[in-house]
Amino acid sequence: MTVYKGTIAEFVGMKECISCLTVQDPADYTLPGHHIQDCIPLWTRHGKVMINAKSYMTLVDLFKPDMYYLLSDGDTNIASPAKRIKKAVQNTIKYHNECVDIHKNLNGVKNSFVMGAIAGGYDLNARKQCIEGVCQKDFVGGYLIDGLHNNGPEVELLQIGEISPVVEFVVNHIEPTKLRSIHGCWNPVVVLKLVQLGIDLFDTSYCYIVTERSCALTFVTDIDDKEEMFELNLRQPHFAEDFTPILTGCTCLTCSKYSRAYIHHLVTVQELLGPVLLTIHNVHHYMTFFNNIRKCIGNGTLNLLEEKVTKQFCTSENVVDSEKDVLLTDGHTESTELIENDTYRNNENSSVPISS
Amino acid sequence: MSLRTPLVFNILAECGTTKARASKMILPHREIDTPVFMPVGTQGTLKGLLTEQLDNLGLQIMLANTYHLGIKPGVEVLKKAGGLHKFMNWNGALLTDSGGFQMVSLLKLAEITEQGVKFGSLNENKSEIVLTPEHSIEIQNAIGADIIMQLDDVVKTTSLDYIRIEEAMYRTTRWLDRCLQAHKRSNDQNIFPIVQGTLNRELRTTSAKAHMDRDVRGFAIGGLSGGESKDDFWKMVHLSTDILPKDKPRYLMGVGFAVDLVVCSALGVDMYDCVFPTRTARFGCALVMKGQLNLKQKVYKTDLNPIDKDCDCSTCKTYTRAYLHHIATIHTISCHLLTVHNVAFQLRLMKNIHESIKENKFVKFVENFMANLHPDKDYPSWVVDALETVGIELK
Ligand SMILES: [Zn+2]
Ligand SMILES: [Zn+2]
Repeated sequence: MTVYKGTIAEFVGMKECISCLTVQDPADYTLPGHHIQDCIPLWTRHGKVMINAKSYMTLVDLFKPDMYYLLSDGDTNIASPAKRIKKAVQNTIKYHNECVDIHKNLNGVKNSFVMGAIAGGYDLNARKQCIEGVCQKDFVGGYLIDGLHNNGPEVELLQIGEISPVVEFVVNHIEPTKLRSIHGCWNPVVVLKLVQLGIDLFDTSYCYIVTERSCALTFVTDIDDKEEMFELNLRQPHFAEDFTPILTGCTCLTCSKYSRAYIHHLVTVQELLGPVLLTIHNVHHYMTFFNNIRKCIGNGTLNLLEEKVTKQFCTSENVVDSEKDVLLTDGHTESTELIENDTYRNNENSSVPISS
Repeated sequence: MSLRTPLVFNILAECGTTKARASKMILPHREIDTPVFMPVGTQGTLKGLLTEQLDNLGLQIMLANTYHLGIKPGVEVLKKAGGLHKFMNWNGALLTDSGGFQMVSLLKLAEITEQGVKFGSLNENKSEIVLTPEHSIEIQNAIGADIIMQLDDVVKTTSLDYIRIEEAMYRTTRWLDRCLQAHKRSNDQNIFPIVQGTLNRELRTTSAKAHMDRDVRGFAIGGLSGGESKDDFWKMVHLSTDILPKDKPRYLMGVGFAVDLVVCSALGVDMYDCVFPTRTARFGCALVMKGQLNLKQKVYKTDLNPIDKDCDCSTCKTYTRAYLHHIATIHTISCHLLTVHNVAFQLRLMKNIHESIKENKFVKFVENFMANLHPDKDYPSWVVDALETVGIELK
């Protein structure tokens, strides 16, 4: 990127999309630990790269994203000890202030929308401390509620009851005019609850995780939708002679041209087109879901949608299978170049339920 | 079902110097401009590309492998789907091989008898399986490709065992008759016989002449591109196209390097297939007129050019070599992007060959192509010899 003069969005061939740069990849398990003074580890395909506020902002300046997150220490989860949480808060405040200072002198990000991060694990006092440390200046446009998990497939298994105290607390303590985001491949039921708690911005790592296990999203996205399976595992042998689309009525390219039987064939013989077709449908389905979330907020029917999705999730036997799959999947399957990879994945796919 | 024959071959122009010709081949699913290169979509998909992308590339025909499709999804599913075209959502033309070559090359234990190609199952509980000419045609009828191939008796091209080569050549003709007998869709599928005889002129001549006595609409030249010297290779192609009738298409199996396509088109070949362009993409290689670029190499890390500035494929219009270098080693998407380019490259080359024959500029095209490839004029001797035979002097 040093020789390339354009933006990261241009470099990856998606210049018509809004690009958003995140520190870690929400779809990939982030290995905990390995911190050293003033640095956080990024796990790239070339191994561990230690990054500090200065080197991070140099990257941001080169990439020139439309939107980016300030460096933060999100390496906490529900089991983190107090010491780690304390350190994460200290680091995040420090990175925040350093990055803000550097930002002011950079040209490449002059027009970028800047997001801060609130760390502090599941400790409300730590969260409060972090908010006090980073929210003093009215510099950023919004906040990420960071440090709830270590990314990757296991996020899908987190329950709303576990995270809602932290989310509610943070939402209540940051300025209401700021954008609020949460990363991770949350189950759609949890997404709806998070929207109800006031979260505005999610990512599409869920589509990726679902595609990785050869599944297609078919959960209800609208209160008028007929109930089907929550998701389909296209590896199952009974799809071999099923010549219907993944989801009847779906207008995506996959559903309008290709059958379950063909996708079953592709995933069983491990052809690349299988995940390509699944991704097209899954992202389309997820975008439809968010369109409908916005619509339901508009006409006050979000509760109905949430009830309907929850009911379908709880009664769908197939969910049990897929959760088993998740449990069996080793979270950290491949190391990828996180920053660029994120931008690639997120810029088209970020889903904002409420236009801000 | 229309009564029109499932293959009409119209020669649009012939080169005044060489044996090259530009034709339109009308198949049930698509009209094909020849000379044509057919990329290989082994399992009912071309390396992750959507059929919409294939249409956009201008692809008219691709090859699928009977052996693989016979195993998965299998004949029953293909029949219920209404054939491979519907199953994979491809409206262009298809050609399937017989499955025999795959069996012999993939399964070390394969044994060939008069009945067919036999192999013991790797699973001890299952009995041995025989691919007979009848079975091959049954699977190919279920797949429903526009052109299907006879099962042939494959001998290694470099074999020196005359008795075995002769046996295989005659058996291939006997199997051809069994295939034609078993064929149930002669209204909308064409069986091509395969000329065998490895590098033996007499046997190859006998094979070609025997197959010309059958009621078929095109011919394949088999048993080449299997490790023989280029000198032997071009002479056998030249011999075969001399014997085969002019008014029917000639398909040279397993050939796909740019220089081979140019030379063999001059020798009068109309159709080619090869896994090379798609396989090399998987290893991070992009085809260019001068050969190929291995995008994994460090030199491309900061190279902001497209793979080929003259290529108008979506990859070249969107991505730099630096980006492709970056993703070449990690992401499946790079294979995808390079496949788009490599298929576009082959199609562009064939289009140039087709157009230059039609415009009576083929000789000039060949000279320019070779000069571009070898700026120092150090042409390989087989290229010089082959082209000289058909009236092109490379100097
Ligand atoms: Zn769909
Ligand atoms: Zn190209």
